[in-house]
Amino acid sequence: MTSADLKISRFIKAPPAAVWRAWSDPRHFEQWWIPAPIECKVVKLDLRPGGGFETLMREGGGEFQPHVEGCFLEIVPGERLSFTTSLIEGWRPAEPWLAVTAIMTFTPEGDGTRYTAHVLHRNETESRKHDEMGFYEGWGTAIAQLARLVEAD
Amino acid sequence: MANNLALLDSAFHALADPTRRAVISRLRSGPASVGELARPFAIGLPTFMKHLRVLEDSGLIASGKTGRVRTCRLEPARLADAEAWLAEQRAVWEGRAERLSHYVENHLHGSSDDDER
Repeated sequence: MTSADLKISRFIKAPPAAVWRAWSDPRHFEQWWIPAPIECKVVKLDLRPGGGFETLMREGGGEFQPHVEGCFLEIVPGERLSFTTSLIEGWRPAEPWLAVTAIMTFTPEGDGTRYTAHVLHRNETESRKHDEMGFYEGWGTAIAQLARLVEAD
Repeated sequence: MANNLALLDSAFHALADPTRRAVISRLRSGPASVGELARPFAIGLPTFMKHLRVLEDSGLIASGKTGRVRTCRLEPARLADAEAWLAEQRAVWEGRAERLSHYVENHLHGSSDDDER
C-alpha cells in the first residue's frame, strides 16, 4: 500500500447478501452512490470482468452529467468486486480525469458484514504535480482555504 | 520561479471574481459541462467563456471535449496539496460507505419483501 492508497472499512448490520444487492442492483445503487440532493442514474452496472460501469449525476432537475465511467475487473458475487476508471467497457483504455482502481470486499462478521473499499490512485502523477509546486510551501493549501472562504459568499 | 509566482498571481486573480468563484464552488461537487456552469448566470456565453478561460489559464480548472460537450473540472492538485487531495478522496469514499451502510440497514434488511421492487 503506497501513500496514495486509501482503505475504508465499515461494519454494516446486514448480511453480505444484502450489501451485495445494494451494489449489484441499479435501482438500489442509485440510492446511495452519490450524496443527496444530487441524483444518480446508472447507465451501466455490468457485473462481469470487462463489463461497463457508468453513472451520471444531476442537480436540481437539470441534465444528467458524467460522473464515473469505468470497467469491472473482478466479480465474486456476494464477496468481492473491483473496477477501474483507467479502462472502460470491454477493457478499452481510457484517460479518466481521475484514475482509480477500487476493490470492495464483503466479509461476514458476527451478525453483519465487514465492508471494505481499497482505493488505489496513480501516486506518481499526483505527487509529482505536488512537488513541482513544493517551492511555495503549501501555496496550494492557502488557495484551498481561500476557495473555502469564498464559498461562503 | 518567476513562472511559479505568475501562476500564483493568476490563481488569486482568477478567484477575485464572484462569477469565477461560483464556478469553482460548483466544480467542487464534480465535473460539469459549460452549459450547466453558465446557466445560473445572467451574462452572455462569450463573457462566460472568458471567465472560464481565466480559470483554465490559472490552472485551477481544466476542460475536455466529448463530442459537442465541453466538460470542466477542478484541478485538485492546484487547489490543494497532495495530502489535502487524498483527504478529499477519503471523504468521498467514506461518504459512500456511510450511505451504503445506512441504505442497506434501513431498506434492504429486516423485511423479507423489501427486495421485491
